[in-house]
Amino acid sequence: MINNPILGRELLGRLRSGKTLAAIVVLAVASSMLVLLRWPSGGTIDIISRGSVQVFRPLAYALTLAVMMLVPAFPATSIVTERRRGTLGLLLNSPTTPLKIYLGKLVSNVALSLLLISVAIPALAACLAMGGVSVVDQIGPLLIVLCAMALQYSALGLWISIRSTSSDSALRVCYAAVLALAVLTLGPLIVLGGLPGIPSMLAQWIAAISPLSALQQITGDQGLATLLGISTGWIHFVVASLLVTLVLATLTVRKLDPILLDRARPVGKVRDKTAKQSFLRRISYLVDPNKRKGGIPRWLNPIMVKEFRTRKFGRLHWLIRLVFGCAIVSLLLTVVVASGTIDWGVDRIAGPMVLMQVALLLLVGPSLGANLIAAEVESGGWQILRVTPISSWRILTGKLASVFWTMLLILLATLPGYAVMSFIQPAMSGQVGNVLISLFVSVLVVISISACVSAFCRSTPTATASSYGVLLALFAGTLLVWLARGKPFGPVFVERVLMFNPAAAALSEMNTPGFEQYNLTPSAWWAGVAISAIAITVFGIRIWRMTRPD
Amino acid sequence: MSESGEIVVKTENLTKRYGEFCALDSLSIHVKRGEILGFIGPNGAGKTTTIKILVGLSRPTSGTASIAGVDCSQEASKIKHLVGYMPDKFGSYDNMRVREYLDFFGAVFGIPARDRKKRIEEVMEITYSAYMQDKFVESLSHGMQQRVGIARTLLHDPEVMILDEPANGLDPKARIEMREILLRLAAEGRTLIVTSHILPELARICDTVAIITGGKLRAFGELDDVMRDLCPMRNYEIQLGQDGDIDAAAERLRGCVEGDVSISRQERTLRFPTSETEESLASVLTHMVSGNVQIVQFREVASDLEDAFLQVAAGADKTA
Repeated sequence: MINNPILGRELLGRLRSGKTLAAIVVLAVASSMLVLLRWPSGGTIDIISRGSVQVFRPLAYALTLAVMMLVPAFPATSIVTERRRGTLGLLLNSPTTPLKIYLGKLVSNVALSLLLISVAIPALAACLAMGGVSVVDQIGPLLIVLCAMALQYSALGLWISIRSTSSDSALRVCYAAVLALAVLTLGPLIVLGGLPGIPSMLAQWIAAISPLSALQQITGDQGLATLLGISTGWIHFVVASLLVTLVLATLTVRKLDPILLDRARPVGKVRDKTAKQSFLRRISYLVDPNKRKGGIPRWLNPIMVKEFRTRKFGRLHWLIRLVFGCAIVSLLLTVVVASGTIDWGVDRIAGPMVLMQVALLLLVGPSLGANLIAAEVESGGWQILRVTPISSWRILTGKLASVFWTMLLILLATLPGYAVMSFIQPAMSGQVGNVLISLFVSVLVVISISACVSAFCRSTPTATASSYGVLLALFAGTLLVWLARGKPFGPVFVERVLMFNPAAAALSEMNTPGFEQYNLTPSAWWAGVAISAIAITVFGIRIWRMTRPD
Repeated sequence: MSESGEIVVKTENLTKRYGEFCALDSLSIHVKRGEILGFIGPNGAGKTTTIKILVGLSRPTSGTASIAGVDCSQEASKIKHLVGYMPDKFGSYDNMRVREYLDFFGAVFGIPARDRKKRIEEVMEITYSAYMQDKFVESLSHGMQQRVGIARTLLHDPEVMILDEPANGLDPKARIEMREILLRLAAEGRTLIVTSHILPELARICDTVAIITGGKLRAFGELDDVMRDLCPMRNYEIQLGQDGDIDAAAERLRGCVEGDVSISRQERTLRFPTSETEESLASVLTHMVSGNVQIVQFREVASDLEDAFLQVAAGADKTA
């Protein structure tokens, strides 16, 4: 393994990069800060050591989030980038076996992940020194879980990378898959958990793939586990994680073959059809995807139309499918809400629903927004746009509108759940209205920040990863502060921090447990609108500057 | 190819500096309507910098550049209507068909939808790309993309077209097609500025050439004049018959010409550079024939643009 040239190249290349250094520094500073804030400064000592647990908990969640964010990004773009550059062909034509190539990439990424995780060991040691946290029950299992996550997400990234055609789509799919593994794996438990026998056991094992169950056990925060009836712990997670890694590794190595490069170009032929065929296609798709498109009308912004047309799922027939898909998912959630109301209460399920909706916005938004300028610059299209008479204002509005309408459609398609909630508890109508405003503000924040980040990046993968990073720092980072409420952070400070998170405003409106005491509306809306306004202004100025002569 | 004497593109003492580095140093050139200017230079010579200033993407540090009397840096918005620019990178968009791609750029140029449809048909006909209208642009071959690139450049009917490396990476057939397209555009009265590293290709279509190295203009003018200036020594070759002593023939030739005589035994050919007049060369031929040298061919080997460029590059290296 030491002599594996792929391992040497990937590991050294990444160790020398500024991004790795930045990730290490950010993680080291963040974990140290959490401990420093809690470290006893006066003469009183917390005898029952609740304080150290309160530090350990957000630290564990922060490390998990960091692994989820940082680990899959590189392997997700690794193989697809090599294929686009033509270096994968060179590797596959060399005597290096596919297994060796795969192991080189996997081990290098896992090794770097371990390096990242090791940065937080001093902070974890400080928690240990404060007492109330043990190596056997907390720190050891946490480190094992993080390592298992690093292995699983590296394998996942490589599997997605080998199946993708572009690095930005690989990143998108990879983050969606990470989210699915963390959250959607809990779904079967909600549906089948109550049933006896094999279905329930199966649902428990699927839920074990999510690191949430392991984290709940390690941190002693059993709220979600009790709510969903999770009976698995961190050992189950490690076993499930290794199994998933094994399956993904097998699938990837099997696909790592020169035939991978032998792909036909899409013909893209528009076929002339009979009236009957045309009618049938319209019935099937509502619009005919194979029909030759008409010209862009004068009243439409051509930039917006172009953005829709260049997205794989931006064509009308795909948008219709997407909206219907979201509506069906939302209705399924509604069924869950309706069937679970006796046990849980509408206000109890509203929190996870808001979180799911924000997760969907966070998943789709940055991948759309980050493409706006970076993809244009990367493809060379920006230079051509610069020599056209189109104004920077039309570029700005066209680009933003293309993401805004898509996000709005997704948001609208997920609303039936709220409609049912209002029907079950009419008193909640006002709250639901406020939640919708908060979600709308979330959409604005997601779009404006990702667009702004995109304007400063020259490649789409960088823009996508940076957008996800910034938005997760805003949405999840503020929730980490909330997790550390009480100690070290006081209620006023937590409320001020949560003010910058419109999703937190939605959660507080729904009286989600832990958010009841915060009064975040309308201040969180104004904060969100202000953040969006600043980001859009910066985006506009950047576009204006980019369209000026050098 | 040039039919009118009207100067359309003009640069005067055009200079561009990036800090201490001088990318372009007092460039003065002009191109007449309907002319094709071959813009030649090694990588980093300043070609793209000049082009960027001409299309309004960059501002000069000093000097002026104008197209059809419009200042390129002061009135950049007007320039965009006058110039069609095809950069060396195609600028592909995913999931977009050729017709949609052209329609988008037509809309961006503000061409009304009704006229746009007709114009797209026209430019696809000019560039022989109508058959690929439903193909996805990212799946086109390089040659196809270059043709679509020219079609896109033509959409707003520009007076001047600036094409950066249009023949780069094309196979011979596609190169011939590209040459036909460019000649056709010039014949329509458009002014073309074309950069290329494939100099024989440029020599076939250009009226004028500008050779630039290290940001400085080394040669500029009509192709024949530049060739004469840069390659004053003409090269001649004498192909001998199968019989006869080639060394003796070379010795006899050395007696009547000034330059070095080189011998190619395999080809049974003698080569020599000369600046003599046609009359003097006629007497050289007489001298050889009178010496019973069996001559199959006596002809001038035409110098090409590559020779001229190498001559300039060598001169630039010496001064550097």
